[in-house]
Amino acid sequence: MIEEIASGPAAIPAAKRGSSIGAQILALAWRAADFRIGLAVLAFLILASLLGPSVLGLSATKMDVANRFAPPIFLEGGTWKHILGTDQLGRDLLIRSLIGLRNALLIGTISTIGMFILGSTIGLVAGYFGKTVDLVLMRITDAQMAIPVIILAITILGVSRPNPVTIILVLVLAGWPAYARVVRSVTMSERRKEYVRASTILGASSIRVMLQQIAPNILPPVAFVALLDVARMMIFEAIFGFIGIGIQPPTPTFGTIIADGTKYLLNAWWITTIPGLLLALCLCSINLMGGALERARNTLLRGQ
Amino acid sequence: MFALNFLLRRIVQGIVIIGLVTLLIFTLLRVVPGDPVRIMLGPMVAPSVMEQVATELGLRDPIPVQFGRYMLQVMKGDLGHSFIRNAQGGSTGGSRGGETFDLQNRAKVSELIANTIPYSILLAALAILFTVLISFPLGFVAGVYSGKWPDRLSLYVSSVLVSLPNVWLGIVLILLLSAWGGILPAIGYNGPSYAILPALVLAIELAPVMIRSIAVSVANSLQENYVSVGEVRGIKRRRMITHHVLRNASIPLLNLFGIQVIGMLLGSLFVVEYIFNYPGVGLLMINAVFQRDFPIIQAIAMLSSAVLVCVNILVDLAATNIDRRLQY
Repeated sequence: MIEEIASGPAAIPAAKRGSSIGAQILALAWRAADFRIGLAVLAFLILASLLGPSVLGLSATKMDVANRFAPPIFLEGGTWKHILGTDQLGRDLLIRSLIGLRNALLIGTISTIGMFILGSTIGLVAGYFGKTVDLVLMRITDAQMAIPVIILAITILGVSRPNPVTIILVLVLAGWPAYARVVRSVTMSERRKEYVRASTILGASSIRVMLQQIAPNILPPVAFVALLDVARMMIFEAIFGFIGIGIQPPTPTFGTIIADGTKYLLNAWWITTIPGLLLALCLCSINLMGGALERARNTLLRGQ
Repeated sequence: MFALNFLLRRIVQGIVIIGLVTLLIFTLLRVVPGDPVRIMLGPMVAPSVMEQVATELGLRDPIPVQFGRYMLQVMKGDLGHSFIRNAQGGSTGGSRGGETFDLQNRAKVSELIANTIPYSILLAALAILFTVLISFPLGFVAGVYSGKWPDRLSLYVSSVLVSLPNVWLGIVLILLLSAWGGILPAIGYNGPSYAILPALVLAIELAPVMIRSIAVSVANSLQENYVSVGEVRGIKRRRMITHHVLRNASIPLLNLFGIQVIGMLLGSLFVVEYIFNYPGVGLLMINAVFQRDFPIIQAIAMLSSAVLVCVNILVDLAATNIDRRLQY
């Protein structure tokens, strides 16, 4: 993996040279084993979270008080009926984890796409037009970066009634400045390039130049690294759930499962630990992929 | 002279940013639904009493008026009084009736923060110490052996560490080291040892960013021309690294440390304090959010953005001290 990166752009197959920057990054990342492992694990987890609940035929919210605190299969007294055991209300933890995973993935993905679109748009506009527009937009991002995401999120979600939409909005609101900054600086240097000047001289409108010329060149590298943010947003979702400002019960989320299990940590340690392990596994697979993409991008951009 | 000019400009910019942050939080608190007066007075109180108290607190004035008044107050050094907590340390409101609610006897926000901030500083300092202890050796070795197995190992270690959600990691460490192992105390605060476990959680969260950046920065510095020139001139590689590479690698690191790591630390501090029920500013803030205690929330948000702004200015000053070529 790292050797491949060290060997640099020369190692990229010649056939790929003509293809788009996005395809080149993907092709280079694919050659890293950790990217393929991450992809396989993530694909499996996504499939499990989509199909698992209906295959297992159990309910995530149905309580079964007779079966409270059932241990997972690998402990004494565990049964195949509840592979990961049950919680304090007798709900099956595997189903709850899978649905929690589905919710976390959805919120992580949608909010990352949201902040990418919002941040990139603002960054493009600020970088392209410069001057006052740029100044105003950058002062706004300055202010927003001077306040930690958590503080902003806790404030908004804590005093309002949290639901999936507000959670996503808060994450987008907190996350866009980083994208705006990156896209702005790349746009500024891209704008001076020959092909952009040529289109402008040929009479292309600003919007056309931004969307059809600059965006396809600069956005794919940013988009791939955004994958790392999906994992970050999923962690935020878990934190919100833990504090009680995430998706509200009875809908299962990792945060609420972990927080619930904390009360029974000594008697039923698996309630908190095992679902959390599943989340960590998913995050790790995303981070492996994101890391490989990031290294591939850096290698390619350095080669240009 | 230049330094002074620079400092002044940055301080003015910083104050504007802090003002904007405060305005943002201030407005958000008043725009999103959730009336603090309802929590202060309890559910049984008559609407007329509620309106009266709200008016007395100035909560029914237009937001710009409220904000102007608040800013004037802050400039005089007064952060206001808590909506909920009384000066004796307990909470009013909730089930109590409107008669017992005492507007005059509420705790000063400045005192509440002054009482909790030493705990947070202890925790943050310990967390930074742990972060440096974990990330410096790992990152440095990875940078020197860039592309070899130590580099790869540090890469995978950071990928795993960054994938551990702090809420889960905190509970797992409590279970392993405190409940089962009995090595470290965990919940609340009863002596400095109670800060170790939360600091460890924070350090594990911060370390991956540091490890990767140290590795990249050291590796890049090693590739600079002066390193090979030095070797040609007969300077030992070891001396080259300790005397020159580290100094050059430290500027991007300092930048990162100031902006990203301190920012992450501030945010995570709140969460970790909540997980461990650790009596710092973060716990005060989260409890204040649940109680809609606006003055506390505003003050702490303002304080944390002030910390970030100050750290940024200090980082820039320090960077220019390391490398005089950097412009003020």
